[in-house]
Amino acid sequence: MPEDVRTPIDLKRIREMLNLKKGRMKLCLSACAGCTLCAESCFLFRSHDGDPRYMPSYKVLNSLGTLYKKRGKVSRAQLEQMRDLIWRNCVLCERCYCPFGIDLPNMIAFARSILRSQGICGVYPHSLGAPEEDYQRGVIEDGPSETEQEDACDAGRASE
Amino acid sequence: MYELARGPLMWIAAVVFVGGIGYRVVQLFRLTKKKERAYCPAHGIREDSPEERKLRAIIFLQNSLLGQHPVMAIVSLVFHLFLFAVPVLTHAHNLLWRESWGISFFSLPDGLIDIMTVIVLLGALFFFMRRLVVPRVRAISTLHDHLVLFITAAPFLTGFTAYHQWADYRTIITVHILAGQLMLIAIPFTKLGHMIFFFFARTLFGSEFSMWRGSRTWSV
Repeated sequence: MPEDVRTPIDLKRIREMLNLKKGRMKLCLSACAGCTLCAESCFLFRSHDGDPRYMPSYKVLNSLGTLYKKRGKVSRAQLEQMRDLIWRNCVLCERCYCPFGIDLPNMIAFARSILRSQGICGVYPHSLGAPEEDYQRGVIEDGPSETEQEDACDAGRASE
Repeated sequence: MYELARGPLMWIAAVVFVGGIGYRVVQLFRLTKKKERAYCPAHGIREDSPEERKLRAIIFLQNSLLGQHPVMAIVSLVFHLFLFAVPVLTHAHNLLWRESWGISFFSLPDGLIDIMTVIVLLGALFFFMRRLVVPRVRAISTLHDHLVLFITAAPFLTGFTAYHQWADYRTIITVHILAGQLMLIAIPFTKLGHMIFFFFARTLFGSEFSMWRGSRTWSV
């Protein structure tokens, strides 16, 4: 996919979405003690010989955690790295278990919603309950078509 | 410096510690709301047979942290238990409390406290090495994690040094007091906040499935 077809990053939209669940997500992120005991609950972690990139907390901290830390100021390359983490390295089976009860799947799902709002890997307008016109104006009309996005995801998977 | 550390600084640390915990708890409750209670039918639930109960216990143990990571589970348990017990049950601390507020707990013999302190320090070393050596912990470790671990270990290290009088006692005991105050202040506002959230987290799953039938949930 040529570079100029892609939409520029809508910082305002990212911040809007980050603020939507700011209190809860920041609390959850700060409550992570980094014990890494969530690792074994991920079947992808187990089936990849304990590769840390498949650990649930790694996926959350390096997607949603980075977004909050940088206050949404991320490059498209960074967003694409996050896409690989939370789509390719995670199937959102919601079986990850945190001893501190942090809702990891919810956080990954939220990070996915934010990435989708930037036209990355599929757009589902009703996923956050935002008005549909919002998405149509910002993402669906200007963004790449769905087949192009699927191609991008497949390319990401193939590069593994 | 010693008088300053024992007087006003101690008050500041105590107020920030208690106030900070209150702030975090209020924050947590403001982020949650009451939820409609789930209906839980009391009838129709079959009792497990003795074999089933035995099997359930085995599966539960295998999947628990103790079964999955026995070393980590035991070290963590002992470390946290002693981390809390040592400052409260030290004879010298109890004397200071009685002197200041007229309250005191029972205290353990100094020799035992000494051994417990060494165990806490070894536990801190274990966690530090784990952060450096185990790839998955290394992958998510930041400076914050190392700093917080150091803040936790510092009062024990200085307390141990002061008790054995290896250096100038007055200097070391002042550093010890300051280190303890730094830890108290750090608890509500850093990752050490897991001391507060522990009590909520441990009842979360219970509350979702049985204890108040899931009476509270996130508000956003």
